[in-house]
Amino acid sequence: MLKNYIKIAWRNLVRNKVYSAINILGLAIGISACILIFLFVRDELTYEAHFDKADRIFRVTNDINLQGQTDKFALTPFPLAETLKKDFPVVEAVTRVMPIGKQTVWLEDKVFSEENFYFADSTFFRIFNYPFLYGDPATVLDAPKTVVITDELAKKYFGTPENAMGQTLKFSKNTHKITGVFRDPGHSHFKLNALLSVNTFDETLKKQFSGDWFRMSLYTYALLPEASKKSEFEASLDTFYAKTVVPWMKENKLNASMQYHVQPLPDIHLNNEFSYDLSPAGNKAYVYIFGLVALFILLIACINYMNLSTARSAKRAKEVGLRKVIGAHRSQLVRQFVGESVFITMLAILVALALVELLLPYFNALTEKNFSLANFGNGPFLLVMLLIVAFVGLVGGSYPAFFLSAFKPVDVLKSDNSPRGSNAWMRRILVVTQFTISLILIIGTIVVFSQMQFLKNNDLGFNKEQVVVIDIPNGDTILVNRLPVIRQKFLSNPNITKVSNAASIPGERTGRLLYLAEGANGGQMEEKTLSTIFVDYDFLDMMEIKLKAGRNFSREIKTDDSMAYIINETAAKWLGWKDPIGRSMENGLGAKGKVVGVVKDFHFASLHNKIEPLALMLAPKSQGFLMVRVAPQNLPATLSFIEENWRAFDNKHPMEYFFLDENFNKQYRAEEKMLTVFGYFAALTILIACLGLFGLASFTAEQRTKEIGIRKVLGSSVTEIMLLLSKDFAWLVLISILLAAPIAWYGMNRWLQDFAYRTEIHWWIFVLSGLAALIIAMLTVSFQAAKAARLNPIKALRAE
Amino acid sequence: MLRTLNLDKKYTTDEVETTALNRVSFEIKQGEFVAIMGPSGCGKSTLLNIIGLLDNPSGGEFYFLDKEVSKFSERQRADLRKENIGFVFQSFNLIDELTVAENIELPLIYLKMPSAEIKKRVDEVMEQMQIAHRRNHFPQQLSGGQQQRVAIARAVISKPKLILADEPTGNLDSAHGQEVMNLLTELNEAGTTIVMVTHSPSDAEYAHRIIRLFDGEIVTENINARSFAKEML
Repeated sequence: MLKNYIKIAWRNLVRNKVYSAINILGLAIGISACILIFLFVRDELTYEAHFDKADRIFRVTNDINLQGQTDKFALTPFPLAETLKKDFPVVEAVTRVMPIGKQTVWLEDKVFSEENFYFADSTFFRIFNYPFLYGDPATVLDAPKTVVITDELAKKYFGTPENAMGQTLKFSKNTHKITGVFRDPGHSHFKLNALLSVNTFDETLKKQFSGDWFRMSLYTYALLPEASKKSEFEASLDTFYAKTVVPWMKENKLNASMQYHVQPLPDIHLNNEFSYDLSPAGNKAYVYIFGLVALFILLIACINYMNLSTARSAKRAKEVGLRKVIGAHRSQLVRQFVGESVFITMLAILVALALVELLLPYFNALTEKNFSLANFGNGPFLLVMLLIVAFVGLVGGSYPAFFLSAFKPVDVLKSDNSPRGSNAWMRRILVVTQFTISLILIIGTIVVFSQMQFLKNNDLGFNKEQVVVIDIPNGDTILVNRLPVIRQKFLSNPNITKVSNAASIPGERTGRLLYLAEGANGGQMEEKTLSTIFVDYDFLDMMEIKLKAGRNFSREIKTDDSMAYIINETAAKWLGWKDPIGRSMENGLGAKGKVVGVVKDFHFASLHNKIEPLALMLAPKSQGFLMVRVAPQNLPATLSFIEENWRAFDNKHPMEYFFLDENFNKQYRAEEKMLTVFGYFAALTILIACLGLFGLASFTAEQRTKEIGIRKVLGSSVTEIMLLLSKDFAWLVLISILLAAPIAWYGMNRWLQDFAYRTEIHWWIFVLSGLAALIIAMLTVSFQAAKAARLNPIKALRAE
Repeated sequence: MLRTLNLDKKYTTDEVETTALNRVSFEIKQGEFVAIMGPSGCGKSTLLNIIGLLDNPSGGEFYFLDKEVSKFSERQRADLRKENIGFVFQSFNLIDELTVAENIELPLIYLKMPSAEIKKRVDEVMEQMQIAHRRNHFPQQLSGGQQQRVAIARAVISKPKLILADEPTGNLDSAHGQEVMNLLTELNEAGTTIVMVTHSPSDAEYAHRIIRLFDGEIVTENINARSFAKEML
């Protein structure tokens, strides 16, 4: 029986080549999109899974509340780890990880600038089991001034991992001995190049850190005996907070409150609500959106299959009738047709796998991942394939199966009676579903695109174009003292118009500082926290930030050095100052001063965030960044001039520079990626839907051959016939627009809520998407309609 | 073999009720060859569908092999059908995607016969119908007469007690038509009961008995002269 079914299915496929190609290709494209998305989603959801103890590792985070403003910190204070080890019986092991930031490494005569170097406790590798090539993970970080590096770094520095063992790396102050080489498999919120032993810290440094429960400087990870102890751990953190931290805050007159939280390791990657987290987090919403898109695409592909199979039902009617006559039960026929769709799905999967192989390099480039079908794993791979077969085979196959198997042999075996009409409504509903989904994705793409344009072209309140930013290496005080000389040197080039240095630049992290500020009506000083940027005299000028009141910092006024503040409009409003000039402020570092100017608000962070209260303080020799505004002409020459002259002052560190606008726009990388992916998948859904429409249109044209013939004999023109055939489909697309518009509007509105500053969803977006879908659909249909309309009517009428 | 009592069949479409059969009663004995005749729309196809267990009557009684089957479910009818009835149609109704041999074996597959037995029977019946050389051809490659012989082969392969033929010569030229009628006669002589719907008086001549229908009612039922003569000899 099975053999008979497969034979029939196969011969049907081979006989109807166009139909089969459309059907299998549509399914294959849908399935391959699904597999790609599955690879992505699975990857996002299985971060940290390669650590044996992943489910028992927890990170301590804390919410800090200062003057009613709550910030969630992934960072914790230095002494927390020791307390956990000593006083928390529920904690099995604990490790600290302290980011060092960009680091210069000297290796004999070579200099490297490195990121992703961390200090860590010797327990680190007992909690996180990284694979080691050399060295004993249990002891590698025990001794002070030891470092373990990744095999990649070892290769870069010493040629082979083996050569690296026992060598030393020189940092600005200390030399560290390499005691181990490990491999970083990635797929974790850690991106490691090297770990240095925390035991390197000398006692004075440790002491300075130890008593401070408010200096958030590192990440603390705890290993619990079992995952279920989480709440016990949280409870003991609360007790500890009340017993130790609260009295400490009182003693230090800190008007704040904190709350410790415990975050399971696997949750870290998709949680982006923390300030100062390690590598940029993934986005849960995007994972869900992609999952949904995958389901949509698969659904569209299934609908294609359903539509084409039922449209073709007349051709199979005779077979159904006959099988029933010779005694087939309906259930047997249902099984046959479902089996057939499973069979076709399996063929489609083969094509899809080939497509995936073909597309993977591009998809990897798009997602910045390194997926391959090989590392899918046999178990999950088979499971997914099975799920797809079940989903497509059953969903796609069941409707045609029930539809076909319901034919009455008495009706279909009379040669002039082909069943008709009854499934037209269902088919219309299916086409509308397809186009609604496609339209939602098209509208989504356009909204994301227009928001991206908005983000990029919105007036930021400063001029981010044509600014070269040089990253000033950390800790080089000699270099910082030379900045004024460098500035003069740069300005000697006519293509360099402004030079300024600042501790932070828009688009980079801006620190918050605690202030005492005059009350709204001049009363007592109150504690306030403001984002703060240390800048030089030329910052406002260079950035083209406009003053709203007061004046800029001035070289002529000596007291500006430590006693002047410039705040932004938001800060003035937030502090309740109607006339901010001359108000008193004192920062946590003890600088008492007055407000000398108010600047118009500018976006120092991405447009995801509302502009926060900001204070600018003068610090002409701050480490951080040197910004150089250059003229657009002769850019390469100007750049090499900058490089050459910078090197003349600093040949110890590798020089690093970038453009301010590019750096600022990096904040929208996630959205950029989403836009690309969204765009591709929207195109895919439309493509699949059109494949289906193409097939459907050809069957409609075929079914109406006689009608078209009669109409032509009676004098109808080709255009009229084309209109007649296209009209039905145009209606369906129009209905889809009406359905898609509110759904897309709701969904995209929710997406836009992520941005403090956002574009509107204009009405023309709906009109544009609708028109696009309509035109594409009409082009698809009219191809078939034209073919049918041009047919010689005599031939058409003889076909009976 | 089968017996009906006051069979009714009514169709209701769009509030119009049409009566296809009205109180039809007759009996067909094992081994008979019966022709059903009548003008278009007289209800002969409806009657054939009910006899063939493809459809249920709206009223009356229908005994098939001494079982009252007029209220049988589709499933019960399908089971009874595949054991006992073979069909031959005017338009042959061969499955285009299956070869001659595959078309013929289909009923045995639904009877879940072992494949060795199927092969043996297919060989036999193709030999009998003289289509063995066409074994692996597809229906479109055959002439109409050959197609109908394949259809008859398919109808008889399960060795049914009853063969129902609906205008079996309708799409054939007279030479091929005669050939088909001879085949049916041979089958009847070998013991198979045959009920045939036909327009053609010459085909009806092959039957023992002719039932004439008009507007859903039996108007005459007479012994065929030729076969009567044959009996007498």
